[in-house]
Amino acid sequence: MKKKIFAITLTLALAFGLTACGSGTQQAETTTTAAAERTQLVVGFDAEYPPYGYMDDKGEYTGFDLEMAQAVCDLRGWELVKTPIDWASKDMELDSGAIDCIWNGFTINGREDDYTWSVPYIDNSQVIVTAKDSGISTLADLKGKNVGVQSASAALNVLNGDQSAVKDTFASLTEYGDYNTAFTELQAGAIDAIAMDIGVAQYQISSRGEGYVIIDEILAAEQYGIGFKLGNTELKDQVEESLMQLVANGTYATLAEKYGLTDYIILEAE
Amino acid sequence: MDFTTMLLQLSTGMLESVKIFFFTLIFSLPLGLLICFGRMSKNSLIRNIVKVYISIMRGTPLMLQLLVVYFGPYYLWGANIGGKRFLAIIIGFSINYAAYYAEIYRSGIESMPVGQYEAARLLGYNKIQTFGRIILPQVIKRILPSVTNEVITLVKDTSLAFALAHMELFSMAKQISAAQTTFMPFVIAGVFYYVFNFVVAILMEKAEKKAAYYR
Repeated sequence: MKKKIFAITLTLALAFGLTACGSGTQQAETTTTAAAERTQLVVGFDAEYPPYGYMDDKGEYTGFDLEMAQAVCDLRGWELVKTPIDWASKDMELDSGAIDCIWNGFTINGREDDYTWSVPYIDNSQVIVTAKDSGISTLADLKGKNVGVQSASAALNVLNGDQSAVKDTFASLTEYGDYNTAFTELQAGAIDAIAMDIGVAQYQISSRGEGYVIIDEILAAEQYGIGFKLGNTELKDQVEESLMQLVANGTYATLAEKYGLTDYIILEAE
Repeated sequence: MDFTTMLLQLSTGMLESVKIFFFTLIFSLPLGLLICFGRMSKNSLIRNIVKVYISIMRGTPLMLQLLVVYFGPYYLWGANIGGKRFLAIIIGFSINYAAYYAEIYRSGIESMPVGQYEAARLLGYNKIQTFGRIILPQVIKRILPSVTNEVITLVKDTSLAFALAHMELFSMAKQISAAQTTFMPFVIAGVFYYVFNFVVAILMEKAEKKAAYYR
């Protein structure tokens, strides 16, 4: 009897699994056709990622990327729905259609084939942040040091990929859920350096005050783009068209200045 | 961000946590009783299915279950899950906590002496009357301390909703902390959780005193 029940449960589980494989592909087609009568744009973002997306002093979600998204929606007559997501679940959120795009300091490099990308709009280098008195000034100085990085981040990809030789010299590499924790540990001396995006690094340093430096030698030069579900070129084209209008009318440059990103913007009016 | 705004923001997060808490209790307490009956069923098929259910619910992390409940419908059937975040959280919490409550109920029901059932039958009570009027009131009395344990754990577990990026107290504290680069929100969140649990503990103690009518 017991064996029979086990067999039945197993068969049911398998059947569910098989139907799942079949229906997954159909869904991808139906979501893209829905774009024609679009009334809203659901932007997924990590609300712990200033200056691109974060909670401002009044408790509203804001940031360079979210204001750009708002401007695009204003042009298109869409309603912007800001949906904070857990960064680790971003692929599930995007695939399942819970969000339309990831617009939040999203590094293209290394993920080229995983999403349908907009044009790159921010130059973003991966850098090392360390305490001023740490004596670390080059990547070679990181030998035998404890380094922190955000999990599932571009900096981590670089350390596991092109810069794995540098990573191998570290005493340890700790993955953090958010930069706030990493910085607190840096402050407390638990780690010696953090690998992260330059824009975020500057925000952290300017709001935390003295005591931190970005070392001159960069880990990798990268770019940010807006990530759409693979194959959703229709929505990508619409957003991109409006994005270029914002570049032409100066909104892009104004917002970049507001968030201290002027040095990193790369789109130019045609 | 000044202190008042921070408190205000965290209070809206607290409200979300409280919502998760109450909805979970409302659904999981009765569901637990149903599962408990299934667990004690004379029908071995039902009993074994429920056993497997309880085993899975207790044997896997709640955070993982929340992810499965939310994203599962899409991956299994390609369903559109937009806007179903809160629903998924309530379902996830309820089916998980129901499994724990079911076992607590069972411990209470099985601790009742057989003599009580026999006496009730002698007095002409039918099965439903026996359970509703004689067994259940005593069971509630016995299991209250264990239920208090689970209820307090639930208050703290609401923070797991951050896995689905629901803006409850803990997610809110994380976000404010990131934007303001300070740990203050976590301290405040800790105080909020403690005060809430303190109130829960007092209420449950009162309930226990009220139930102790034979002492």
